[in-house]
Amino acid sequence: MKLNYLWALLFALATFALAQPSKDVKLELKAFRVLSAQEAGKTTEKLEPALDVKPGQVIEYRLEATNTTDRNLNQVALTIPVPKDTYYLALSAQPLKYEGGLVIPEFSFDYGQTFGKAPLKHKVKVMENGKEVEKEVEVKPEEYTHVRWVLPLLKAKESVVLTLRTVVR
Amino acid sequence: MRRLSVLFTAVLVFLLGFAVAQQTPAGSSISNQASASYIDSAGQPRTTTSNQVITVVQQVYSFTITPDGNSTSTPGQTRSALPGAPVYFAYTVANTGNGTDTINLATLQDTGIGATDNFDFTGVAIYADTNCNGRIDAGESVVSSVSVAQGGSACIVVAATIPASATNSQYANVNLTGTSAGDNTKTDTNNWARGIATTAAALDLTKSASPSGGVSPGATISYTLSGQNRGGSAASAITNVGGTGLNGILIQDVIPSGLVITTSGSNPTGLAGAGTVQFVYYNGTTWSTTLPATITGNGTVALGMVIGGTGAFFPQNASYTFSFQATVPAAATQGTNYANVGTLQYNNGSNQTVTSNTTNNTVGASYNVAVGPSGNPTATGAADSQTIASAVSGQTVIFTNTLQNTGNASDSFTLASSGAPAGWVCQLTQTDGTPISGAVGPIAAGSNYNFQVRCAIPASYTGGPVTVTVTGTSVSNTSKSDPTTDVVTTVTSGYAVDLATHGNAGDGNPANDNPTPQTVNPGSIASFPLDIVNTGSNADTYNLTATLPVGWIAVYYPDTNCDGAMDTPTPAPITSTSLMNSGLPGKKCFIAQVQVPAGTAPIISTTNVTFTSTSTTLGTVTDFVTTGVSVNLLQGFAFTPNRAGTVTAPGTIVYTHNLSNTGNAAATVSIPAFTSAYSWIYQFSTDGGTTWTSSVSGLALAAGGSTTLQVRVIVPSGEPIGRQEAATFTATATYTGGSTATSNVTDTTTVVGGDLKLTKSAVSYQGNAETTVRDAAAAKANPGDRIVYTVVAQNIGTGDLTNVRVSDPLPAYTNFVSVSATATGFATGTVLYSTNNGTTWSATAPTTLTAGQSIMVGVDTNSDGKIDATDTMLPAAQITLTFKVVVQ
Repeated sequence: MKLNYLWALLFALATFALAQPSKDVKLELKAFRVLSAQEAGKTTEKLEPALDVKPGQVIEYRLEATNTTDRNLNQVALTIPVPKDTYYLALSAQPLKYEGGLVIPEFSFDYGQTFGKAPLKHKVKVMENGKEVEKEVEVKPEEYTHVRWVLPLLKAKESVVLTLRTVVR
Repeated sequence: MRRLSVLFTAVLVFLLGFAVAQQTPAGSSISNQASASYIDSAGQPRTTTSNQVITVVQQVYSFTITPDGNSTSTPGQTRSALPGAPVYFAYTVANTGNGTDTINLATLQDTGIGATDNFDFTGVAIYADTNCNGRIDAGESVVSSVSVAQGGSACIVVAATIPASATNSQYANVNLTGTSAGDNTKTDTNNWARGIATTAAALDLTKSASPSGGVSPGATISYTLSGQNRGGSAASAITNVGGTGLNGILIQDVIPSGLVITTSGSNPTGLAGAGTVQFVYYNGTTWSTTLPATITGNGTVALGMVIGGTGAFFPQNASYTFSFQATVPAAATQGTNYANVGTLQYNNGSNQTVTSNTTNNTVGASYNVAVGPSGNPTATGAADSQTIASAVSGQTVIFTNTLQNTGNASDSFTLASSGAPAGWVCQLTQTDGTPISGAVGPIAAGSNYNFQVRCAIPASYTGGPVTVTVTGTSVSNTSKSDPTTDVVTTVTSGYAVDLATHGNAGDGNPANDNPTPQTVNPGSIASFPLDIVNTGSNADTYNLTATLPVGWIAVYYPDTNCDGAMDTPTPAPITSTSLMNSGLPGKKCFIAQVQVPAGTAPIISTTNVTFTSTSTTLGTVTDFVTTGVSVNLLQGFAFTPNRAGTVTAPGTIVYTHNLSNTGNAAATVSIPAFTSAYSWIYQFSTDGGTTWTSSVSGLALAAGGSTTLQVRVIVPSGEPIGRQEAATFTATATYTGGSTATSNVTDTTTVVGGDLKLTKSAVSYQGNAETTVRDAAAAKANPGDRIVYTVVAQNIGTGDLTNVRVSDPLPAYTNFVSVSATATGFATGTVLYSTNNGTTWSATAPTTLTAGQSIMVGVDTNSDGKIDATDTMLPAAQITLTFKVVVQ
């Protein structure tokens, strides 16, 4: 007796499942101030806890991620942001060797909305000879906002350590 | 000119120094927090975050004083004046550290042994030039230090007087030194300046900018270059001054990159104490007296004023002024500095070039935001809205919006939505669905950020339009915000259901939904195959109910193969559907069985049964079908049992019968009068023998009811022994509606001569035991029930009776259980049994009796082992035979 047929819909039915917070992965982040020292004619590096810094100094962020469970976890994406007032020091985020594979770091320049392998490129519209032209421009490492490593697997009770460096503006 | 170009280079370097991003302010906290997302062992997506690490930025001290003069032989600025008159040196102190600092200032004369100049200044003093016009104005006081904020600058004028004793062309050098109060290792000491005593013409040039210091994007800066001939002679014109093709004195200003001058009759303006004023424009290659409508500074193009004249035309104390206005671009980024310096060329016997003080205008942070439809954040008016024409309740609509940082500095923004009706749940998310909590950003000036508004429409909502307003607000300046609207024009219900007879659900035709009515007997079942189609947009579950006459029951069974017939084996009944997808593909079939209780009165109806399906999500979403279950009239009328008896003449015998109505309607019973062939009188009683009538009429018998009817036979005297009459009575039951049913009993009465009276009674029991009486008159017995017959033979006469045998056959459709007999009133005797009609006798009761056989008993009074004429039955003696059978 009902005659309303509503098959044709113009918009998406939302079926997104929101991820739940959890303690399966323990993340411990530390910040170190990187100091260069001249010793016996060689330049050596010294790391100190970065309680304070000055503009131009380098901070090394070190993230230790531990699978606290008895089971393997999949698709573990570990993200370290490049904090405000600093910029990413090019090449400081290194690939991670784990379980015989190499996890290449991925970078974002849009606050973590999208990630890609370096070098990142983005399209800009520029006026050329009076015409608007879309050009692909390489994103400078200084513009990166987030770095992440996506591990296909993090085995039970195992840890990985990831580092990256940023320069205080 | 070579010296001029060196100066321009210095200015450019200065500009670049300002253009780089400011250092992070001292005291800022750099905080960082890592995050992880992963799939756990149960396949669920999870996220987690690390601890937060915070690093505090310390202050670094750095400043510059310009213009530089590296040594006494290379002063950064040179001023000329008459002996006894003051000269003014303008400086800028800029804080290039990351926090506010105080710069202590001092002056140093080129004096004593090793002095490279001719005299020392008198009255050297440091003034704060608060309006940065290179002069000492009223209210501007002597200072020994200046406090400058991060990225800021302060203007300083050093005043020094040339002694009256100085002669023409003699000069003195003075240095301005600065030391950071925060870090006294940070100094700036290369700021030598030179003052020259002259009796020749000496024009000076100072420059002011209004406003001085910070400016906003889009602001207008008014520049004024002015000066006076402070020398002892008239100044002369330069031929083709500065390459302009004109003769005279030239004041020119290279326009800082980015600034825009819109020329008009009042822009620029200029006055001179002598000569004629002519404005000129330098396009980087040549000068022109025609000013373009718009001049955009690029660090090369220049605007100038020529005071035209010939010879020594500009007298002592004559002054000039040259003003123009420039506009800061609306898109100027925070921290952009517009440093501007003017130059003056004139002749006082030789060509002279004078450089003014430098004005600095730094663009402050300007925060603003635009929010609009996806990809069009700056849309206004009707375009600043996006619409979803139709939506369905129970679902989520998603709008993508774009925010743009329209300020000139990096900024973060808070997002908020409002306007959704009660019950709607609107959430702001990133484009991947991750919820946004707190501010988004920081977002660079001019950059866009896409986000989504996801509104879950409650199941019960219909109507519209619904306008959700999303507002982005600058965190740095909360007075700056911009709304946009996301509109859902119409929301229709996402829930609907169609219930119909098998095959017709979801066909869009409500006229064929009702099942065909059925007619059944009481105590039976009417089956209706039904189909349900979810005609809404969302999956749903439905409760199944029915509205029925009181006492009736409806039960739903799933019809999995949807063939309209009950599945085999019969599935478990259900009260609701499983989750049903929308549309015909999600159709489910059912069998609704209506159980009509036994004894239900006959009824004719096409509307007494309603089946209903109701959404479990939204109770107002329901559908029903109406049909009828009619109940047949069932006749069931019995008049039992047949009776037989003996009577003496005269004598009377009473037979008891049962009238029962096992139909489903009330009936009225009538029995006509019976006419005896022998004038015997037959009478009926329906009240247990109180009143007797010759016929029965109007005896009400309710559905399922029964009543006892007695027949009395009165035999008159004189009737011959052995006369027998079998009287058959026909009872007619008339049911509501007029239909009738009949049933007969036959009572057979025999006249006996002796005085042996035989009576037989029976009791039926439930089951093959004597525990629960089913019927005291054995009118009813079910298969398996036990019936106990009691036959009593009594000598009611006054004389002896001989050869008395009592016989009873095993009734048809029964099995023998036991038999026993007792005798009372005999002088002596033994009870004997025979199962072969008296051929042989036994004192032991038989234990078997087959169909067709009869049991026969008698009392052997002479102990000869048989019953014959020699066995006598005394008056009042009686034999009781108890015969037990079980119904097959």
